[in-house]
Amino acid sequence: MPGVKKCLQEAMAIPGAIGASIVDYTTGFPVAMTGAAPNEDHEAAAAGTADVVQAAQSRSLFVSAVPHDLLEDLIITTAGGYHLLRLVPTDFDSRLVLYVWLDRLRGNLAVARRRMQTLAEQLVV
Amino acid sequence: MTPAKSPGPGSLLTRVAGERRTGALVVGGTPGGTVYLAEGQVTYAESAAAPGVGELLTASGRLAARTWQAALDAGSAQASVGRLLLDQGHLTQGELELCVLGATYDAAYFALAAGTAAFHEGVRHWLGDVVSIDAAALNRESGRRIRLLNEIIANPRIDTAAVIPVPRPPRERVTLTAAQWELLVHADGQRTPADLAQLLGRAGFATIQELRRLAALGLIEQPKARATDNPDFVRLPRMRGASAPAHRHAAPESPAAGVSIDLSIDVPLDGDPTRAAVPAAVATSAPPVSTSGDPPAERPRLDRRKPGAKLPKEIAAEPPQPHPGTDEVLLKRIRTALRALR
Repeated sequence: MPGVKKCLQEAMAIPGAIGASIVDYTTGFPVAMTGAAPNEDHEAAAAGTADVVQAAQSRSLFVSAVPHDLLEDLIITTAGGYHLLRLVPTDFDSRLVLYVWLDRLRGNLAVARRRMQTLAEQLVV
Repeated sequence: MTPAKSPGPGSLLTRVAGERRTGALVVGGTPGGTVYLAEGQVTYAESAAAPGVGELLTASGRLAARTWQAALDAGSAQASVGRLLLDQGHLTQGELELCVLGATYDAAYFALAAGTAAFHEGVRHWLGDVVSIDAAALNRESGRRIRLLNEIIANPRIDTAAVIPVPRPPRERVTLTAAQWELLVHADGQRTPADLAQLLGRAGFATIQELRRLAALGLIEQPKARATDNPDFVRLPRMRGASAPAHRHAAPESPAAGVSIDLSIDVPLDGDPTRAAVPAAVATSAPPVSTSGDPPAERPRLDRRKPGAKLPKEIAAEPPQPHPGTDEVLLKRIRTALRALR
């Protein structure tokens, strides 16, 4: 039942979380954000996030032909961190993705992914 | 087109937000809209070109129309519709916030685009204060969205003109996204992007974005420059066939030529739509032997017709039935507007 702010607070409680945001991926705009962002720029990070999601949704390699086999999350790893993107499914029309940036040493990819799944579902159920 | 005499909506928003005022910034013109502020923070925005929270929630089936109406009836007077929906368990806090955030950024893009702005002190929206958005961020984002669209294809007329799918795609194989498919299926040659957004319960900006992409792919007609400042949001029934002569013409791309050609088509439409068919039909059947030697520059509006050929079907046919969906959308919007007056 949490609101957007509470959801981001909980995302920041994921071990190793450095920053979190909810991004509208049609426009590449962060509708809500907290903590740090890569290069200290949440808006630029959101624009990049949107590019990644759109690429994954529009390239045939990732687009499944099976009905309802929709994109769930995207995980990008770098030497220093993990970038997790989880699509937020809403009944009404929106195209939102929950983004969490984790420190590579302190973060645990599997734990973070599970927590984000719960968070994204709690937000809208 | 944009009246420059008063401060633009964007700069007025910055000013009233800086003074931490509470009220409604009403923007006139096409499409126009309203941005609501509470102590300098934006709480909601609405525009005819963008579906509001109610349309988004009911069109998607998230809320029954009855539930929404009941909340409106009970909560409008105290500006607590949002609160009511949460308390009654119809929506979660997260859903409502995300929906309001989306609708507000969406409407603000249209409301802040152009027009004369005036600030009404103390006016609150019936939804109540669900979110608070920094006015500078809203302004910045609205500007950024204009650039996003122009990167796809720089033709803002696509955003307001009736959407007309091309009868034949310009390539053998066409790949569409789900949203594009939805738009093409519902585009009947009369609905504007705003109509489609309201009908489908899709964000206005997202709709325009997909339409610009479709135009870039050559899958919908690109509207030419129009001389009239006709507000497209309250439309007269439009002749479906009327656009055909202009396109068969392969009109030159220069804006001046575009105006002259479109004038000949659009002017009769402002009057009685049933009569509009007649001049168009006469004009098309007119090219006689006497003009055949004229240089084409003198009569650029007419199509050649082979002697004895029949009139094109779309011109000769009866005026098309107005689409039932259009009325429904219009009525819905009128209802929403009336409700806001209460």
